[in-house]
Amino acid sequence: MKQLVIDFQKCNAGRDCAHECELECAIKVFKKDDPTLAALHIKAHEDGGGHAVICDQCGDCIVVCPSEALRRNKLGVVMLDKKVCVGCYMCIGFCEKGAFEYDPDWITPYKCTSCGVCVKVCPHGALQIVEVPEPAVRII
Amino acid sequence: MDQLVFDPSKVMAIDHTRRTEYLGALLAYRTGLRTLKEVAYTPSLPDRGYNNRSLYVNVDTLEVTEKPVTQQMKDVFIGGRGFGLYHLWNAVQPTTKWNDPENEIIISPGPVCGITQYAGTGKSLVVTLSPQTEIPIDSNVGGFFGPLLKFSGFDALELQGKSTKDVILFIDGVKGLIRIDEAPEGPVDSHVLGELLTHLYAENDADLPNVSVVSTGAAAEHSLIGMLNFSFYDRRRGCVRFKQAGRGGIGTVFRDKRIRAVVCRGPKVAGDLNHPADPETIARTGIKYHKEIREQDPHQCMMRRNGTAHIVEIMNAYDLLPVHNFQFGSHPDTHKIDSSYWQQRCTQTTVDGCWYGCSMACAKGADGVVLKTGPYQGHMVTVDGPEYENAAGLGSNCGVFDPDYLLELNFYCDTYGICTITYGTLTAFIMECYQRGILNKERTGGLELTWGNAEADLEMMHQMARGTGFGKVAGLGVKKMKAHFIAQGWGDPQLINDIGMENKGLEYSQYMSKESLAQQGGYALTNKGPQHDEAWLIFMDMVNKQLPTFEAKAEALYYFPLFRTWFGLNGFCKLPWNDVVPADNSSQPEPQKVPEHVQNYVDLFTATTGIKITKEDLIMQSARVYNFQRVFNIRMGKGLRLHDAAPYRSLGPVTREEYESRTERYDKQLLDELGIDPAGKSTEEKMALHRTWRTDRFSQLMDSVYTRRGWTLDGVPTLERLRELGLDAFPEVVAVVKQFI
Amino acid sequence: MGVIVVNEEPLGWHEGMTVRDILRAKNYRFPMLIIHVNGLLIAKPDYGTTTVPDSAIVQVIHLISGG
Ligand code: SF4
Ligand code: SF4
Ligand code: SF4
Repeated sequence: MKQLVIDFQKCNAGRDCAHECELECAIKVFKKDDPTLAALHIKAHEDGGGHAVICDQCGDCIVVCPSEALRRNKLGVVMLDKKVCVGCYMCIGFCEKGAFEYDPDWITPYKCTSCGVCVKVCPHGALQIVEVPEPAVRII
Repeated sequence: MDQLVFDPSKVMAIDHTRRTEYLGALLAYRTGLRTLKEVAYTPSLPDRGYNNRSLYVNVDTLEVTEKPVTQQMKDVFIGGRGFGLYHLWNAVQPTTKWNDPENEIIISPGPVCGITQYAGTGKSLVVTLSPQTEIPIDSNVGGFFGPLLKFSGFDALELQGKSTKDVILFIDGVKGLIRIDEAPEGPVDSHVLGELLTHLYAENDADLPNVSVVSTGAAAEHSLIGMLNFSFYDRRRGCVRFKQAGRGGIGTVFRDKRIRAVVCRGPKVAGDLNHPADPETIARTGIKYHKEIREQDPHQCMMRRNGTAHIVEIMNAYDLLPVHNFQFGSHPDTHKIDSSYWQQRCTQTTVDGCWYGCSMACAKGADGVVLKTGPYQGHMVTVDGPEYENAAGLGSNCGVFDPDYLLELNFYCDTYGICTITYGTLTAFIMECYQRGILNKERTGGLELTWGNAEADLEMMHQMARGTGFGKVAGLGVKKMKAHFIAQGWGDPQLINDIGMENKGLEYSQYMSKESLAQQGGYALTNKGPQHDEAWLIFMDMVNKQLPTFEAKAEALYYFPLFRTWFGLNGFCKLPWNDVVPADNSSQPEPQKVPEHVQNYVDLFTATTGIKITKEDLIMQSARVYNFQRVFNIRMGKGLRLHDAAPYRSLGPVTREEYESRTERYDKQLLDELGIDPAGKSTEEKMALHRTWRTDRFSQLMDSVYTRRGWTLDGVPTLERLRELGLDAFPEVVAVVKQFI
Repeated sequence: MGVIVVNEEPLGWHEGMTVRDILRAKNYRFPMLIIHVNGLLIAKPDYGTTTVPDSAIVQVIHLISGG
């Protein structure tokens, strides 16, 4: 499956960039000029390191979704079908990575779909889409 | 705190495609329906939780009308059970009987019902005059019907009249039509009918989850203990499942009206259909709660794995599991029917909420059950549950510790439209009568109803569904059976009355109140009868010793019934309140109340309706409806102190064996509490001392509770209390009370 | 042999007795407990390691579930 990964050897947690990845995601994917509405968030740690909130396509949310709105597509990416989603936000509450989010303006939540638009704009080349095996289904 | 470890390798692999299908009759149904009445209406969606109209249907005159939901109704009765009681009050007279055409069945979901972001928000409340208690009964039920009814444009549905032929009421909230059809000959049992009608009324496969069916089963036609099934479509299993409005015989009223089913088809559900005033607060509160479940539930009750069945072993460990008609509190075979077994038997890889957004997901199901008896012998079915009440009532209380039979009993109760709690308690009573010679093989028409005889038990259930044999007698319920056995001269009347576990005509639910005075009140001093949904105080009282005085017990019996009434006004489920608690709950003041969750409920109400309330207002909202219901009972000629009387089995040891199973405890009580040295006294003498002491304590408890509730010592709400609650605005209510003051 | 009081009932005490030992002795198997030893709240991860002194007053509050 396709997974977005970040290399913190290259990414300095936004200290020497303008968070191009977040902005690009917000504008291109969600048509909003607001990086807080992006599907990935790069946060700087006090001690110098960084931390990224990104969906790793683990599939936990597929298991909890009551309406079967979440499914893997052909590339193994967890996709949300807005027409089916009932807006219960269990996916948000059960995602251990905090990667599922919502915007008060929409009823359905959103997350990263490994589309890769952010990869292209990172000035340090820290982001990458990789192919990894699908994890086993976890009962939660 | 040795939690059970879940082993996924033990989960059964079930091939759903082998489940028996009942769609054969689809064509016959489609062509066989004869439309009696069709009315067009304008569908609507709620605004801030209310559509501001309700639907009235008379199945006899075929009248179909919309009624406004007034501001006064919303202010005083809120919704749900409140609306149900309000409509019922207006529909009936003090002389109305349950099977009179005036009696109504009201289904109302409540203003918060239908939001999808918080757990337990899909409940409907069903109210009618009960054939068992002859006063209003209310039942809180899941399934999709309530939310879909709201999204079709109605805050309540009133069903009145008695049809002469079987009818199906169909509400199409998408097309805006209401239809009453005469139903062709065909099945009435819910697992068949529910599947059939879901497929009949859904436009296509994607539409299946938008259809919900209310139905009952064959036993509702021949007994007083019929219940209603509310369906929901389980997408993963690809099957129609049910939640039950169980208590008090609502299904019996339904069939007496010759209603075969009520079907609602609503729009596709989305997260904003309830149009709350403040969706952001609802979203925030819901997500916080989902996280809490994810983090805490695996270390607390494991509701997501076990549902309520997890308390089977707990109750057994605390000597509180009803065994052999509430004689004993534990049994060596309990491990055969506790949650470690159900974890393996219930399918675990799925989402078991009875409405969207329920992260607690207690609605477990056992798939691939092949039936051994009855009309569906050999069929492979999915059984809902078993919940704690079923495992305890159909299981330990009757001495049935064979899980396969337990599932079969559970299945047939559901599909025949029998309340499992009631059936468990009445069968336990019958079996004890059998043990004590009050009944025998001759009197039961050949059924050997000894403890644990599941085959005879099942046969009695099949008889109940056919309306034959001893099953028909059993279907009268404990109260009428007691009178019948006594009239036949079949045993010592006092013994029969002592061991028949009913109050107000309703059977006790499955907890042992014998050693907890507060719980004795929690059962008997209720509005509808002994169901634990008003108060469950056994741990607080008996184990924690937190309620040492009559005043403390009375305070608990004031607060908890009111707090819990509120769930039913709004369309909430009780379980998410306290079957998980926040990590820091233990350091909060009054942790039993789960303060953070109480605040969640306050926030959800305010965010839905836009009406700002506090946690004190919440209690006031309930108090209005609770006292109104008490007055309603009085209006129906009940509702007084004498109607709150409890069978002695619920208060103390009736028999020698019971006393001797707990000699140490009881002897110590004689010494500590009564100052009497038990040494040298016979068991009978000691039992008599206990009886006087316990009966007296119960009476003192009544005094304290009535006083705290603002009632006279006869159990009548005082005029002052009615004024405080604003119920003096209803002259009819005041008039009822005046007769007693 | 010493004695402690658990939920207002006496229980035999032994050297090194932990909170978990008390729960075993009383067969308190309910998963949602709030435990105070001499007024001090004991966190769940510490049940096995917290030792209880002689004559301690122990409160094991069971919350409500099911019901
Ligand atoms: S949103 Fe969260 S739970 Fe869902 S696949 Fe991504 S990381 Fe996993
Ligand atoms: S919000 Fe939508 S996608 Fe997420 S769990 Fe609920 S129904 Fe599924
Ligand atoms: S906790 Fe259980 S009964 Fe309550 S709403 Fe959730 S699934 Fe339904």
